[in-house]
Amino acid sequence: MGQAWNRVLTVGGDHVDTPEGSYPEDGDGGTLEMSYQPTACQHCENAPCVKVCPVNATFTREDGIVEIDYDKCIGCRYCMAACPYNARVFNWEDPQHVPEEGTGDVEERPQGVVEKCTFCSHRVEEGLDPSCVVNCPADARIFGDFDDENSTVSKYVAEYDTHQLLDDKGTDPKTYYIQGEMSPGRPWKGKELEEELDEEPTAEEPADVTGDESVSGAAANPTGGDD
Amino acid sequence: MAGETADRATTSAARAPVLSSFGTVSKAWLGLLGVLLMAGLGAWAYQLQQGLAVTGMRNVFSWGLYIMLFVMFVGLSAGGLIISSAPKFFHSDRYEEFARLGVLVSLACIIVAGLLILPDIGRPGRLYQFFTSPDFRSPMVWDFGIVVLYGVLNLWYLWLLTRRDLAARGSRFAFGTEDTQSGRDRDRKLLFWTAAVALPTAIMLHSVTGWIFATQVGRGDWFSPLVAPVFIAKALVSGLGLLLVVSILADRYTAFDADRDELASLGKVLGVFLAFHVVYLLAAERLPHAWADHFGFWAITSEFLIGDSIYFWLWTGLGGALPLVLLLIPTLRKRLSVILAAGTLAVAGTLFEGIRLVFTGYESVNIDAAPGISLGGEYAGVATDIWATSGTYTPTLVEVVVTAGIIAVGALVVTVGLRYLPLQQPTTQGTYAADGGNEGHD
Repeated sequence: MGQAWNRVLTVGGDHVDTPEGSYPEDGDGGTLEMSYQPTACQHCENAPCVKVCPVNATFTREDGIVEIDYDKCIGCRYCMAACPYNARVFNWEDPQHVPEEGTGDVEERPQGVVEKCTFCSHRVEEGLDPSCVVNCPADARIFGDFDDENSTVSKYVAEYDTHQLLDDKGTDPKTYYIQGEMSPGRPWKGKELEEELDEEPTAEEPADVTGDESVSGAAANPTGGDD
Repeated sequence: MAGETADRATTSAARAPVLSSFGTVSKAWLGLLGVLLMAGLGAWAYQLQQGLAVTGMRNVFSWGLYIMLFVMFVGLSAGGLIISSAPKFFHSDRYEEFARLGVLVSLACIIVAGLLILPDIGRPGRLYQFFTSPDFRSPMVWDFGIVVLYGVLNLWYLWLLTRRDLAARGSRFAFGTEDTQSGRDRDRKLLFWTAAVALPTAIMLHSVTGWIFATQVGRGDWFSPLVAPVFIAKALVSGLGLLLVVSILADRYTAFDADRDELASLGKVLGVFLAFHVVYLLAAERLPHAWADHFGFWAITSEFLIGDSIYFWLWTGLGGALPLVLLLIPTLRKRLSVILAAGTLAVAGTLFEGIRLVFTGYESVNIDAAPGISLGGEYAGVATDIWATSGTYTPTLVEVVVTAGIIAVGALVVTVGLRYLPLQQPTTQGTYAADGGNEGHD
């Protein structure tokens, strides 16, 4: 219990949903600032976790998604030491699920293996956006084919200021954080669950995936009272 | 020199096991080791069934006691092999009396190190994939290979050192080898070539184990080119320290006879290793950062001199400065009790250094924004949060019992070796010293 593939971190104060800076007092302008940073597996181009895995259980798919073969993972946790983002979590005990029946369309993980965000590869294979993209109420996430110059994600990354987390580590993540005012992201598929799909997905298969944005500034919402 | 027959007689008389039988004390000792071993197996079975949740490890601090002690025992395994193969490589009989016991201890330590990996693995039943599906980019694959090679090399070396004496005693562990002068001469050549292979293998073992950590960009001070050389130095210190401790204990409690002057001489060597490791390499590692991060002279100096954690002080003070001082003072350093204390402290120091290394990698995270990282299980530490923005670790009883069981295996190997292997030092006559330089070490 308590495994998180996607953590929404508060960039600001020391605690969740708190800003850094000072309140406006005595007529001075305040410096309060806060934003959110969804942090999951960054699907690095130069992924340290893939390089350290002794048994090839962690691998990079042809489309660029970094994935784990849960039938191969020996549970040595070297990849957890390697990941600078702490994106990986380990099944320290027999996993419990909510609901209890199982993990739905997501592959089950047994005790003793490492797991992490898969970019919803089971959905991407069906031509669907990852669940976090579909479910984001602010449309803050964009997912798409970064090899295609005309994809929404390519256009956003080309047009706006972007940064990659811990880019000084040289891991070259495929996840970009986009800064500045912009129109909401546009998921390129509908909201169907994968089991509701017709047999043939209509969208083109992604050759490469990328995209994930956090809107800073406009979405920042310093809290005054309840949190 | 006597003729071949007389020589053989001298040899077989001189080279006997240092424990002639298992007495009451030995049996109690073996019983204790057996109990520890069974308790360790039980704890491991419990851990396998419950999952690694019964350890103190969690998602932020995901390697603990098993890996810390793996690092330590890899280091400890250096002593015997280096102290016996380095002189042989230079065709010297120096420290010959320690060679067999030393290699036995090396073998036991590398066995312990290898076994310590098992309980750290979440699904040990899949370990065969190291053979069927290895990724040769992984330093862990390199280390797996070199640990196995090193273990086999130790086993071969120990047998090569003792097989003629085993044959002379009619032991079945001679495996058909016969005790002849020409055979002994041939073994001398083989020993040289084994030493020639063993030395670079030892250097690779400690470097590769260091590179497991030193290649990682995400774990603070691990990512340092100095880690591999530091692992070499650490291996020299702890390996020689352990060899001295075991030799002195064997000298006291078994028929093993260690020459006082040789022990004192090795103690001096330990002092040199300690100075190189704890003074020189540590200073070389710390100075550039202290200098670059601070402006004032005293700010630089204090950052350079003052450590960051209790493990740092336990290592550099208790396990570094103290044994170094003991080995520097001429009136003290020749006493066996002082050499024993210095060796023990040096071994303990490298334990604390290993603990410190793992802590520097896990106690802080690169992205520490709230709420942090999910710990992935009931938190065994002080806080009750399921989130953490820094790593904390305390080993649980399960980890301690499993570890003690594995160390008992090593102790068992050494004890059985003391009983059945001809570890007695050669007589002062020189048994097969072709270069004749065996009278009176200076």
